[in-house]
Amino acid sequence: MPDIIEIKNLKKYFNTRRGTVHAVDDVSFKIVAGSTMGLVGESGCGKSTLGRTLVHLYESTSGQILFQEKDVTRLNKNQTKALREEMQMIFQDPFSSLNPRMTVKATVQEPLLLSGKYKKEELDEATFHVMEQVGLEKRFQHSFPHELDGGRRQRVGIARALAVNPKFIVCDEPVSALDVSIQAQILNLLMDLQEKQDLTYLFVTHNLSVVRHISDYICVMYLGQLVETCPTKELFNNPMHPYSGALLSAVPSTNIHQKRARIILKGEISSPINPKPGCRFAKRCLYADDRCRGSKIELDEITPGHFVACCKAREIRENGTGAV
Amino acid sequence: MDNTEKATEVLAVRDLVVEYSSDGMPVHAVNGVSFDLAAGKTLGLVGETGAGKTTIAKTIMRILPDHAVRKVEGQVLFKGEDIRAISEVVMRKVRGKQISMIFQDPMTALNPVKTVSEQIAESIRLHQGGNKKQAHAKAVEVLEMVGISADRADEYPHQFSGGMKQRVVIAIAIACNPEVLIADEPTTALDVTIQAQVLELIDKIRRELNTALILITHDLGIVAEICDTVAVVYAGQIVETGSKEDIFDRPTHPYTRGLFAALPDMYKDVDRLSPIDGMPPDPTDLPKGCSFNPRCWYAADECKKDAISMTQVGTGHFCRCCRVDRIEV
Amino acid sequence: MQKRRVERIDKSKRPGSLPYIWKKISKNPGAMAGLILLCLFIVMSFVSPYFMKSYSEVDMRDRFATPSWEHPFGCDEIGRDIMSRVFYGARYTLSIGVGAVFLAATVGIFLGAIAGYSGGIVDSVLMRLMDILQSIPGLVSSIAVVTALGPGLINCIIAIGISYMPQFARLIRANILGIRGSEFIEAATIINCSTGRIIFKHLIPNSISPIIVQISLMIAQAGLTASTLSFLGLGVKEPMPEWGSMIAGARNYIRDFPHMVIIPGIFIMLTVLSLNLLGDAIRDALDPKLKD
Repeated sequence: MPDIIEIKNLKKYFNTRRGTVHAVDDVSFKIVAGSTMGLVGESGCGKSTLGRTLVHLYESTSGQILFQEKDVTRLNKNQTKALREEMQMIFQDPFSSLNPRMTVKATVQEPLLLSGKYKKEELDEATFHVMEQVGLEKRFQHSFPHELDGGRRQRVGIARALAVNPKFIVCDEPVSALDVSIQAQILNLLMDLQEKQDLTYLFVTHNLSVVRHISDYICVMYLGQLVETCPTKELFNNPMHPYSGALLSAVPSTNIHQKRARIILKGEISSPINPKPGCRFAKRCLYADDRCRGSKIELDEITPGHFVACCKAREIRENGTGAV
Repeated sequence: MDNTEKATEVLAVRDLVVEYSSDGMPVHAVNGVSFDLAAGKTLGLVGETGAGKTTIAKTIMRILPDHAVRKVEGQVLFKGEDIRAISEVVMRKVRGKQISMIFQDPMTALNPVKTVSEQIAESIRLHQGGNKKQAHAKAVEVLEMVGISADRADEYPHQFSGGMKQRVVIAIAIACNPEVLIADEPTTALDVTIQAQVLELIDKIRRELNTALILITHDLGIVAEICDTVAVVYAGQIVETGSKEDIFDRPTHPYTRGLFAALPDMYKDVDRLSPIDGMPPDPTDLPKGCSFNPRCWYAADECKKDAISMTQVGTGHFCRCCRVDRIEV
Repeated sequence: MQKRRVERIDKSKRPGSLPYIWKKISKNPGAMAGLILLCLFIVMSFVSPYFMKSYSEVDMRDRFATPSWEHPFGCDEIGRDIMSRVFYGARYTLSIGVGAVFLAATVGIFLGAIAGYSGGIVDSVLMRLMDILQSIPGLVSSIAVVTALGPGLINCIIAIGISYMPQFARLIRANILGIRGSEFIEAATIINCSTGRIIFKHLIPNSISPIIVQISLMIAQAGLTASTLSFLGLGVKEPMPEWGSMIAGARNYIRDFPHMVIIPGIFIMLTVLSLNLLGDAIRDALDPKLKD
């Protein structure tokens, strides 16, 4: 299967008064067309920044972004415009991601209008068609965001992203702000749409249960760096990076009869400003030693398709210690 | 309820009803809530947004916004005495000292212009007296109990991270050894690894101080971790209550079962999630009869008429469903 | 399916919309009184020439006449009927008030929005210009502009408008800075909105509430400034019956014939009061924090 997205050594730094924030630091991965890549990590790991850099909301500092094998790292205005009809984004907060003064119809219609591909008479019909695809009844066309509940608002956001028929969508925590009962509706919707329209998703989230359900591959990020990437089931059955292990064990389980060993991490996440060389997780890692604080840790393919950025991953695996 | 339970019961809420007024419309936030809490035990109040959980907590603490509240009925019995009936002056001695609350957002719960030890000392001086030095020393003690070293006692909130701020909020809440602690979504704003730390801390404190804890959350995973008893809240009512084992192993109410079915599980593979149909109810316009009936796949005519009362389905396990015996568990 | 009130959207329940504002204002007795009074003044201003004596008709026999049945507000120093003059004169105060504020708001919003969205050097330059304008007291700068351009209605509007511009520019800039980073603006960028469209369709409509309040409060102020300018002889000139210039003309007779000063003064006061009451009510209607 072809890769729809490939990023190579992508970096995104922000210059602030206190120093340079290494939000995304040398990340590389590929996303197969038609699949969902889950991007997990906690706050400050750079996953949202990565998503926004991919869709050119931010300009990358260095590295390469390839879309359908074409280099799209640096684009001029017209090229960006064209790319945005292939790559779209769904945002996290269903309230702040919609213009409070625009009706549902206006919000969903705007991308259609701006694409210039529809005649005036065709716009309304095209709009209703998209609304139907996301399960928004026509009677909501004149509603404003504050008149709708979270689930419907998020459907509006999805409709807006879908309107121009993109091939790739970055979903930035699309269900994190929703109640559990509505979350499931939206997740099912996203999966149905993926199947019907052959979409590829980059699903950014901190919720491991959700990412387990929806993604085919997972990338785990910590402080701007990619620490582990592998097929989804692999990560849950066999996490190899100490951080992944701790992350998985930290999620409270609804299984009350299975007591799992909890790995409680010590300390706090360090600052992404001018970070020191070496493994950024070393400060909190149970297995860290001097080797970890030297130079940058590269991704190592421990088992086929399973990459880990830990210089001690093989040792830990052999000794049988690990996460869960 | 047998007598031995009543003896250790430190908090009992009876038929609580709270109605707000918003834009002229009545908002039925809480519609007849009753529960008990024994010393040293944890009760999980589970529900989604708008279910009324925070309103219940604020009613117990008597910190509801007076101008918006239309009606409050029912009793809140703290060690046998109805604290809804006492004067505000007397209540002030209870609030923060005997019943304390941890709020959801640590970013806004702390005063940015006071050091953390000052904020804890303030509570101590208010309830236990003593001079500044004594209060400061006690504050440092409490900070160490929550895992913040003494040398950070005189720093300001903005110098702490989210998880540390929440620890300070917890410190303020437990400074006077309260008998009841209400934690309103204490870890929602935190990362999952920090969440684990903070939950562990709350549980440890509960055990050390033998505090009764009400944990308000929408996360069933958290409930499974540290709660002893659970009450599921929907549309301002408790629709199911029981021990943790009752709720997790034998969920009875269709809403509870719907919640479990809608949850993606980290360790199981499911093709499609089973969401609950429809939307959460509008508290200004609740359905007639059972509030859940428009979304319930077992609903029948009898569900749409009168208010539904609790049915016992096991020892200490109650369910607010009139068709409970006809549902296959 | 649960019945939802979305079926027939009750527009008056929608905060920020016109029906909503109207509903709130109609409950405020002061604002309604002000509104009625203003409407009365506007109507009388247009209608009075048709059934009253002309405002410029001189009749020396009626010089200094005190209020009577024939001349309910009396006459001025050359026998002109004060009632027809004050009614006709309403148009000046109100039109300058509205015109000046409209000019200030339009230009101010345009410049402030560009400054707020662009940031950087564009922002700095525009804001320094506003600083310069604001550092001169409003009345003084109005006087300066009118002196340069000459007296008259339009010049009055321009002069006052320029002096009020910085306030609007700052207000909208502050609001735009606040929402510039919102997700819906990111979303607008991603669906290929041009910068202009983002500013005019997304940013400005969401920053407009405080501007509307400011507008309603400043019309009163502008009207007052107009009267002041005319009083100083710099605004609307004789024989136009602008209230300020009427007071100026009657200055020397204040001791013997106070009605010539008091009547126009009362009208200025009533107009400013009405505009203020209305402005306060609009502000309260648009302030989400005051909701119940």
